[in-house]
Amino acid sequence: MTEKIDREEIQKVIKSVPLLSASAAQLLRTTTDPDHDLMDIVKVVKTDATLTARVLKVVNSAAFGLINEISSLDRAISYLGERLIVGIAIGDCAAQLFDKELKGYEGEHGALWRHDLRTAIASREVVVQSNSDINPDLAFTAGLLHDIGKALISDYLQGTAGEVLEKIESEEFDDYLSAEEELIGFDHPRAGYELALAWKLPEAIAEVIRFHHTPADAREEFQELVYAVHLGDNIAMMGGGGTGADSMRYKLDTNYTRLIDLQPDALAKVMLTVNEEFIKLERSFSATGDSNR
Amino acid sequence: MSQIILGVGDYGASNRPGEDIKTFALGSCVSVILLDPKNRTVGMVHVALPESSINQAKSLEKPGYFADTGIPALLKEMARFGCNPKGKGMEVKLCGGANVMDTNDTFQIGKRNGLSVKKILWKYGMGAVAEDLGGNFSRTVTVSVDTGEIILSSPARPNWKL
Repeated sequence: MTEKIDREEIQKVIKSVPLLSASAAQLLRTTTDPDHDLMDIVKVVKTDATLTARVLKVVNSAAFGLINEISSLDRAISYLGERLIVGIAIGDCAAQLFDKELKGYEGEHGALWRHDLRTAIASREVVVQSNSDINPDLAFTAGLLHDIGKALISDYLQGTAGEVLEKIESEEFDDYLSAEEELIGFDHPRAGYELALAWKLPEAIAEVIRFHHTPADAREEFQELVYAVHLGDNIAMMGGGGTGADSMRYKLDTNYTRLIDLQPDALAKVMLTVNEEFIKLERSFSATGDSNR
Repeated sequence: MSQIILGVGDYGASNRPGEDIKTFALGSCVSVILLDPKNRTVGMVHVALPESSINQAKSLEKPGYFADTGIPALLKEMARFGCNPKGKGMEVKLCGGANVMDTNDTFQIGKRNGLSVKKILWKYGMGAVAEDLGGNFSRTVTVSVDTGEIILSSPARPNWKL
């Protein structure tokens, strides 16, 4: 019998995970500011010696195959691009969450990080291929964080996956999202949103985390971004990059067509790019030193 | 026991006793498995998309990505093992091709992959003797060279055979 959890319980879990580092939090704020440029990113990274070292390690890793070593931070950042810098910063300081084995979803070790990385790439590509006005780097960052709530509730879901799948098949549960709510009284977008509040994440990203499965409920001003990540998430799962038993067990909100024009050929191109980029990015992130990335 | 692991868009064949060919987490991708009992050879391609027309350059570099270039590439590979280059005498089995829930036509890539694979096979006069396509779940597939037996797995489900 699973236990129901409430907001207080989730707050307790959140208190047990490390806070976002000051530099990562600042990078997220900078990314969501429409007027920022790369120099703003450089300024933030310079304040953090560990992050600076990581960035230089990544750019000089085998994944990029540079002939001459890059030793200047400015050059490293302009070479890697904003989204990779944000990815390194968040990936490092939230490693405890991203690397958590999602036992409640019967996911393999590292599955959450890999799914988030795929979703990040897919969300960005959706924005690019549909000629949206959304900043592609913002879509990437929001995609990276969208499922963070799974790391918070996974332990409470342990031992339920088999039952959930049966009840989805028999239509007792609508999808995995409603299963989470039915079983433990809290779904992963809501849990992630609590973390977004605790971490004081920018509103746009908090909104994506909260509504990535129910984008129609997002505030109007953020809806296009939320839909982009909603599609990115589904594309990641279709490409075989889910987080475990819940993969492909969510509903697609086909009303995305109201805001995002993604034709079948464009979708195929997105899927192709996700596969290619994922292999490259996974290699470059693994250069940051974590054994399971 | 040795194992050949195929990534997205990879294809491979083997006649080595004791060997398996395996591909992980098919999602909307389709795995086409060719079994040649006469030559005791099995082959597999992990197809991600129905048509190569969206990116010709990619189809030259990695033909296995697409149904229309992946199947001919697999047949060519199997011909190296002495199999008939047109697939004569081979058995075909298909798995994968899942879709997300409440999907629309655009997002039914799993379904389109399945249809496209069948269309190409049809051109060779081949049809699947068994298939495990569709649904809303991701499949991992292993085929044994010795027995031709196909084992499917998916998180939180008991393994099953095809």
